[in-house]
Amino acid sequence: MRNSGAVLILTFIAKLILQAAGVSPPGKPRLTSCRSPEKETFTCWWEPGGDGGLPTTYALYYHLENSETVYECPDYRTAGENSCYFNKNDTSLWVNYNITVVASNALGKNISDPVEVDVVYIVQPNTPENVTAVVVHDEQGPFVRVSWEKPRTADTRSGWITLIYQIRVKQEKDEKWEEYDAGMQKYYNVFSLHPDKECMVQVRCKPDHGFWSEWTQTTYVKMPNYIPRERSLWILITIFSIFIVLILTWTLNVKRNSMKLCLLPPVPGPKIKGFDKQLLKSGKTEEIFNTLVIQGFPPTTDYENLLVEYLEVYDNEKQELVLDGKELSEDFMKSKSSSDNDSGRGSCDSRTLLLEKCMDGREGSGSDQHQYSQHGETSWASTESSESQGAEPGYPESTDGRAKTWPVVFPQPHHHSPVGAVKPAYHSVPEILNQLSPHATPSNYHQLHHQDIPQQELWFSKSACRHSQSYNQFNLDVIDTPAPGVPPLPSLEYVEVQRVNPENMLLLRPLNREPERSDCTGEDYSKVKVVTSHNILLLQRDTSHQCVDDYSQADQCTTQQPPHPCKPAVHQWNSVMPQEGMRVMGNGYVDSTVLMPSF
Amino acid sequence: MARALVLLLVVLVSLLVNQGRASDNQRLFNNAVIRVQHLHQLAAKMINDFEDSLLPEERRQLSKIFPLSFCNSDYIEAPTGKDETQKSSMLKPLRVSFRLIESWEFPSQTLSGTVSNSLTVGNPNQITEKLADLKMGISVLIQACLDGQPNMDDNDSLPLPFEEFYLTMGDNSLRESFRLLACFKKDMHKVETYLRVVNCRRSLDSNCTL
Repeated sequence: MRNSGAVLILTFIAKLILQAAGVSPPGKPRLTSCRSPEKETFTCWWEPGGDGGLPTTYALYYHLENSETVYECPDYRTAGENSCYFNKNDTSLWVNYNITVVASNALGKNISDPVEVDVVYIVQPNTPENVTAVVVHDEQGPFVRVSWEKPRTADTRSGWITLIYQIRVKQEKDEKWEEYDAGMQKYYNVFSLHPDKECMVQVRCKPDHGFWSEWTQTTYVKMPNYIPRERSLWILITIFSIFIVLILTWTLNVKRNSMKLCLLPPVPGPKIKGFDKQLLKSGKTEEIFNTLVIQGFPPTTDYENLLVEYLEVYDNEKQELVLDGKELSEDFMKSKSSSDNDSGRGSCDSRTLLLEKCMDGREGSGSDQHQYSQHGETSWASTESSESQGAEPGYPESTDGRAKTWPVVFPQPHHHSPVGAVKPAYHSVPEILNQLSPHATPSNYHQLHHQDIPQQELWFSKSACRHSQSYNQFNLDVIDTPAPGVPPLPSLEYVEVQRVNPENMLLLRPLNREPERSDCTGEDYSKVKVVTSHNILLLQRDTSHQCVDDYSQADQCTTQQPPHPCKPAVHQWNSVMPQEGMRVMGNGYVDSTVLMPSF
Repeated sequence: MARALVLLLVVLVSLLVNQGRASDNQRLFNNAVIRVQHLHQLAAKMINDFEDSLLPEERRQLSKIFPLSFCNSDYIEAPTGKDETQKSSMLKPLRVSFRLIESWEFPSQTLSGTVSNSLTVGNPNQITEKLADLKMGISVLIQACLDGQPNMDDNDSLPLPFEEFYLTMGDNSLRESFRLLACFKKDMHKVETYLRVVNCRRSLDSNCTL
């Protein structure tokens, strides 16, 4: 017990000492390859794993697969260092050899991993021999004939081993070798070599089941300088093509005129309808230009007709329903036209001015408001939204940014809050119209220049252009209303229309009270209930219950109101039939496209 | 004089016939060599495909198993070296080849099942048919070599080897398949070598001299 312990300790110490000294048992050797050059003998090589600082000896042991007898390598020298050569007597084909190498030195030994080898499958022949390359001159051009001999050790004659050969060729300054398979023959003709260049040739061989041998040493051969026969072919081609070109040229020459007609067709002369070339030549310019004038263009209708007449229905808060007047009063027209010229008016009234101011501030739709009151005409509040938001069914917008002076009627008094964007209710129009229908002229669409709108209050929504001045400058010639005159308002506020006097003027009065109104979002737009026979739109107010409370103070719950949640509805206009030509759509909207005048 | 002529004619005819037969034999031999070469190539391809289709762990498993090729044909005494082959008579390699082919006729039916790539084998009975054809060819060649001599070899009368050899050994199907394929390849190579040697020995105008 003690002895074994002591032995252990001693060996441990010895090992430590030896390790310190740098000596150790040998490293594990490794069998690198085994090869047979002719399927009769074979050789195995190994690499040492490290000798551990001491002289190491190597021994190769093997046994055949069907026996347990272990033999040692018969010949360590023939094949060189770290090799084992098996001669014919020791070689058996179609039998697996189990080979191991053992490295041993003073300190111990190390055994390599075993390797199974069947000689038949490790055949790698020697390189072919006597490779010769000769230039052979042929009528078609010189080529190189390469010939060689089989490796000496391979016994192909008895059929024991069959070899196939491969050659590769490279001309100087080429990068890659050209490989050719030669089969079992021992010569090969190489064509398509460039003249006047040096040619390098190499050969190798392989048994039918085995490894390729190494390439032989390079054999050099120089190609002679010769003129390729191909040149004659090119000469022939050139002559032939010249011949063809001549024929083509002659043909073209003959058919010159028709070719010209085909390729360059004559350009037709200019022709303007109604334009007489003779006239031009005669030189009477006036007559010429007269012919160019088309009668009836541009259409010179009345200016009134220029107004686009269609119904705009906005659903935007900021927008107001704009009702287009089919035919406005002539006075208004005049005022309008004069407004364009901005003559005789204050700058505040200038429509264009307002426009300019409004353009900057406006993002989407804005409302533009002008009121023309200079000439005592009815003042119209017009709103415009060049870029209208929301749905505008049937609203052909004018492309230019000019404000259109449409009369805007925001009849509903109590639905509008003076501040902020509020949708005017449009339903007051019908009530207005309704009231004024006996007075309305037949041709007018919506008439605000009716007399006697005692109870009406027309509201004008505040313009988006807050910075614009108040336009509520009304030149009221006749103020014979009980209501006080309309003082010019400092800013755009809601004004009440006191009434409409006989001179077709809207008498406004500033809005004194500013009741808080809830935002009646439900009153964005009104439906057109029906169209009267006089082209009057009767609007229907959207039923919205929010706004019910707001209107309690107003005395608007009159019978003239359109159907209102709290009021008796006016039924007078239920009987009005739509005029022919107007289409009342299913949801109460009027298709106004039919109303558009055709120019 | 006439007799001499007739004799001459007979000799000529016999020569021709012999030559014809010889060329016929030669053709048969070449044919047999080509056929067995093809079989060997097929066997090599099959085992390559099998090894390629192995998963890495299967490969490791296989490499640990040594020895792999305990073949059925090991019991058949065959020359294992060139000298031995060449020293033996012409008949011996032929006979050995015959027996080898015969020993594979039955197990070859399971060969196609081992290979996953069906394109290699194609018709599962292809190998069996080829083996049968080859066997017949070799027997013809043997007859031709015997050339009327009685068959003195005793080996032919030995019973066929244990036919179920490949089908009953072991449980590991992977190992069995590999062994089957490896043995097949080896045996085909044997037969090819023998036939080539005999072919070259027989005639000079075959490709042996190349």
